[in-house]
Amino acid sequence: MSTNKKRYIALIQGVVNDTLFDVLKKRKSTEIYILEGRPKLKAAKVLSKSSLKRKIVPTLIADNMAGFLFYKNLVKEVWLSYQLLDKNGAVCDIGGLILAVLGHKHKVPVYLYPTAEKTPLMGKKSDVLNFNGVRVAPRNVNAYVPLVEWVPRKYISKTYSVHGSKN
Amino acid sequence: MIHQANPNKIVINESPLFWPARLQEKTLLVLDETLLPDKVRYIRVRNTGQAVEVIRQMKTRAFGQFLVVLNTFLLELARNKNLSDQALFQKIVQTAEALNNSRPTFPFSEVTSIVVGWAKKALEQSQDVGLSVQRNIFGYLQGIRQQRLDRIRRIAEFFQDGDSVLTHCNVSGELAMAASLCRARNKKVHFFATETRPYLQGAKLTAWELKNTGSDVTLIADNAVASIMADGLVDKVIVGSDRSCANGDFANKIGTYQIAVLAKEFDIPFYVLTQPSNKVKKGEDIPIEIRDENELLTFSKRRIVQKAVRGFYPGFDVVPHELITKSVPIDVH
Repeated sequence: MSTNKKRYIALIQGVVNDTLFDVLKKRKSTEIYILEGRPKLKAAKVLSKSSLKRKIVPTLIADNMAGFLFYKNLVKEVWLSYQLLDKNGAVCDIGGLILAVLGHKHKVPVYLYPTAEKTPLMGKKSDVLNFNGVRVAPRNVNAYVPLVEWVPRKYISKTYSVHGSKN
Repeated sequence: MIHQANPNKIVINESPLFWPARLQEKTLLVLDETLLPDKVRYIRVRNTGQAVEVIRQMKTRAFGQFLVVLNTFLLELARNKNLSDQALFQKIVQTAEALNNSRPTFPFSEVTSIVVGWAKKALEQSQDVGLSVQRNIFGYLQGIRQQRLDRIRRIAEFFQDGDSVLTHCNVSGELAMAASLCRARNKKVHFFATETRPYLQGAKLTAWELKNTGSDVTLIADNAVASIMADGLVDKVIVGSDRSCANGDFANKIGTYQIAVLAKEFDIPFYVLTQPSNKVKKGEDIPIEIRDENELLTFSKRRIVQKAVRGFYPGFDVVPHELITKSVPIDVH
C-alpha cells in the first residue's frame, strides 16, 4: 500500500452490528480497515465475513497499527462498537479508547455504533497467552485481559443506532 | 549460555537478548528470536548473504541487527585473509552495500559507513586493512557494550520502588537486566508487556526474559494499553528505538506511536532508549518498511481470516519528539 496519495479510510474497532457495512457501502470512496480485536480475533473474523458478504473487501490491521494510519493522515473516520451508553460516555470493546484518543488528537470524527453482541468485562489469561489457538507466551507468565473499556463523552463525535440514525 | 554483567558492582545474569550474536572462528552465531521462548537456538551464519537473510527474515532485530552487521565484517575478514589490502577494501565495500539493502528503516548505512571509513583510512595509510578494521570493530563493540551496561544502571535509577512500567516490543535485554538490578537493590517494580503483533516479541521475548530474571511481569494485548493507563495502572513507559532523527523524533516497532500519544494524554512519563543521529532531519523522512501482508494474515501457517481479506503491515512507526519525556542515549558514532 502506498501511503503517499490521499486516502479515505474508515477504521472499525470492535464487533459492530453488521448493518454498519450497509451504511459504509454507500460511500464508494471509503476504504474499510478493520482491527484484529485481540485476544480472540473476533472482530477480524466477524467483520471480515460481514464485509465480504456485502462485496466490500476489508483490509486487516493489527491492533497496534492504527496509530501509523493517523500519523500519516490517512484516517477519515473511526467507528467504535458500544454496548452501553449514558450521557458521560460509553462502554466499548477493548481498544476503543485508543482510537478515541487518536481521533481526538488528529481531529478525526469518532462515531459509536451498536455492538453485534455483548462482551464480558474480562477474558481468561489463556486468551492472551495463545494466538489463534497456538501458545505464544511462556507458561508461567501472568496476563491481564480486559475485554471492554469506558470511552468518555469528550472523545465521541456522534452515536448511531442500528438504523443508522443519529441520537 | 549465561554471561554475567557488572553494571554497577552488582553482578547480574546477562539476558541472551543483550548480546544475541557472536563470532566463533569462521561462523557467526545468531540467536533465533523467532523460536523463543520454546527454544534457545543459534543460527550458524557463514557469509554476508546468509547474514542479510537472517535480518530480512527477522530472526534477529533491533540491537541484534547491529551486532550482525559488525560481525559480518569480521566474518568476511576471517574468510578472506589472503586477499590484498585493495581487494579486501573492495570486499568490505561490497559487504556494506549488501547489508545496507537488507531492511529499510534501521540505519544500516550509518553503521557500515563507520567500518568502510576505517578500511579506507587503513588503505590510505598503507596499514594492514584486515588487522586495522578487526581491531577497530573489537574496540568499538567493547565501547558499545560498556555504554549499554551503563545505560542499564541509568534505567534502573529511573524506576522507583512500587513502580508499574509499561514496555512495548523488546529492548534487547536492557530492561530485563535493569529489572534484575532493581531487584538486587530491593526495589519492587512491576512490568506490563504488550504482546506486540504480528511477531509477538512482547509475549515471546520480553515476558520471557523478564520472567527469567524473576521479575513481576503481566502480558497484555496491544489493544489494552489505554485501559490500563486510564485505570491508573501505569507509572512509566519505556521503549527502545530503531532510528533517531536530528530533531529527536524516533522510529520504533509498530505500535509505539499510539502508546506515546496515550502516555501524553494520561500524563505518564515516556522514556526511550536511543542511538542519536543527525543523518535524518525529522521523523517524516524516515523510510518505513511495509512488510508482506501474509506475515499478518497467517499465523503458524494458518490463515486467520478469509482469503479475500487484504492486510496492511507497516513494520515501524514514528514518535515525534514532543511526546518524549526523556531519551536515554548511547553514542554509536
